[in-house]
Amino acid sequence: MAKSDDCVHILQGLLIFGNVVIGLCGIALTAECIYVVSNSDGPYPLLKATENRDIHAAAWIGIFVGLALFALSILGIIGVVRASRTLLLVYIILMLITFAFEMASCITAATHQDSLTPDLFLKQMLERYQKSDPNKNSDNEVTKTWDELMRQNHCCGVNGPSDWQDYMSAFRLTHSDADYPWPRMCCVLDAQGSPVNLDGCKLGVSGYYNSNGCYDAISGPVNAHTWGVAWFGFAILCWTFCVLLGTMFYWSGIEY
Amino acid sequence: LPTPPARLPYVPHLPPMALLGKVTATTFALERPRCVFDGHADASDAVWLAVAFANASGAFRNPQSRAEVPPYKELPTARSYMTLETAAAAYSCSAPSPPVLRVGGDTACREQGRQDPCNGPLPSPGPYRVKFLLMGCRGPKAETLWSEPILLRTALSPSTIDPAPAHPGSALVVISSILASLGAVLATAVLGALGAKVWGSLCHQGLGTDTFIRRSYRTHHIPPALPQPLTPGCGCSPPGLSHSAPQPPAPC
Repeated sequence: MAKSDDCVHILQGLLIFGNVVIGLCGIALTAECIYVVSNSDGPYPLLKATENRDIHAAAWIGIFVGLALFALSILGIIGVVRASRTLLLVYIILMLITFAFEMASCITAATHQDSLTPDLFLKQMLERYQKSDPNKNSDNEVTKTWDELMRQNHCCGVNGPSDWQDYMSAFRLTHSDADYPWPRMCCVLDAQGSPVNLDGCKLGVSGYYNSNGCYDAISGPVNAHTWGVAWFGFAILCWTFCVLLGTMFYWSGIEY
Repeated sequence: LPTPPARLPYVPHLPPMALLGKVTATTFALERPRCVFDGHADASDAVWLAVAFANASGAFRNPQSRAEVPPYKELPTARSYMTLETAAAAYSCSAPSPPVLRVGGDTACREQGRQDPCNGPLPSPGPYRVKFLLMGCRGPKAETLWSEPILLRTALSPSTIDPAPAHPGSALVVISSILASLGAVLATAVLGALGAKVWGSLCHQGLGTDTFIRRSYRTHHIPPALPQPLTPGCGCSPPGLSHSAPQPPAPC
């Protein structure tokens, strides 16, 4: 009898520890998703222009799931300590609902990360950079973001300056190919912002133009956000799965 | 009859070094010929570049004087023109100069109807063939061979770009499959546990057989009921009224 009591106490201890971890992870998930939702610098205008707000939806769900996990973990600890069937049943059912929501958030974030291919940004850049349409404010945002991106990261285009040669673009309609094989921002600029050697830049002499593509500079921060939401949520769910299985086993052993 | 121009064995070609802007949609670059015209050129001579469509290069006739030089704006009709008029000294061995010539780089002369040699952008992808022509006061003095056909770049429309990913990434597949299986196991476990409990309660089976977790009961210690001793009183109670064991009345 004493051995069974020891086993019970060990199970209780494990469940309480598991719920403590879930509570802390819930707080961390909430904090991280608030950061993702509010972080709007860098290449964010490009994402907004793609009209793909999945990462925002996933982050908003993550905020509420995190708070729910924290509250449910406290409920779980109380239920385990008091060995109450009702409390634990409520805990299990609410945890399953939270599990389903967090599953949706993870899969949405992973899908969003998948959809951010170089071709997506290439098409957007070709169609909207320097479109010079005064009515559409979002095109100005795209132009300003790309200019800032190319200036700060010393890059050009998505895959390289040849993007501007391989494809027609809104930029090409207003800037002739002979004068602007690629935008001025692709040239190496001096302190005043004018090209160091304009002819060298137009010809593509190395050292006078930026030959790298900007895709790495875009996908780096965006991937950090998406991976944070998707994979951290996935890790929490794996841990929650184990704790829930233990709780169900504990619940089925409580006598009335 | 004027003497025919000397044929120099030089073939104009694109620069060998790696330049991204060697060939664009309306311009191209040529390697600057050095030491090619030495020995044929005087100080007052000029070197022109003749540009013709590749299928019209055979029909090109050297102009006999500067007035007969085909201008840039007649390229669509004449199928050829001459441009880049440069002093012959610029192509000599000792001249320090940039190693490439850019054909089509001057957009300003296109709009104005100037008769000066205009190095305007080329209107179509071509292909084009070029040759250098050394012109003196009395006509062409030397010419190089025609180049290989130079084809300019053609830009595709951005609508040909398909932004959808070719196949779902491995991360998505891993997350979806593992989470779906975890969710299915949990749902099955909950339904199984609930079902077992409902089944058990419906069949009125002993509930305490497999429970191993006992709640802590607060037990009350109830002592067994002891017979209350009769208080010795002066009065005698009639027999049958007291429920305790019959005892003889105590003496008053």
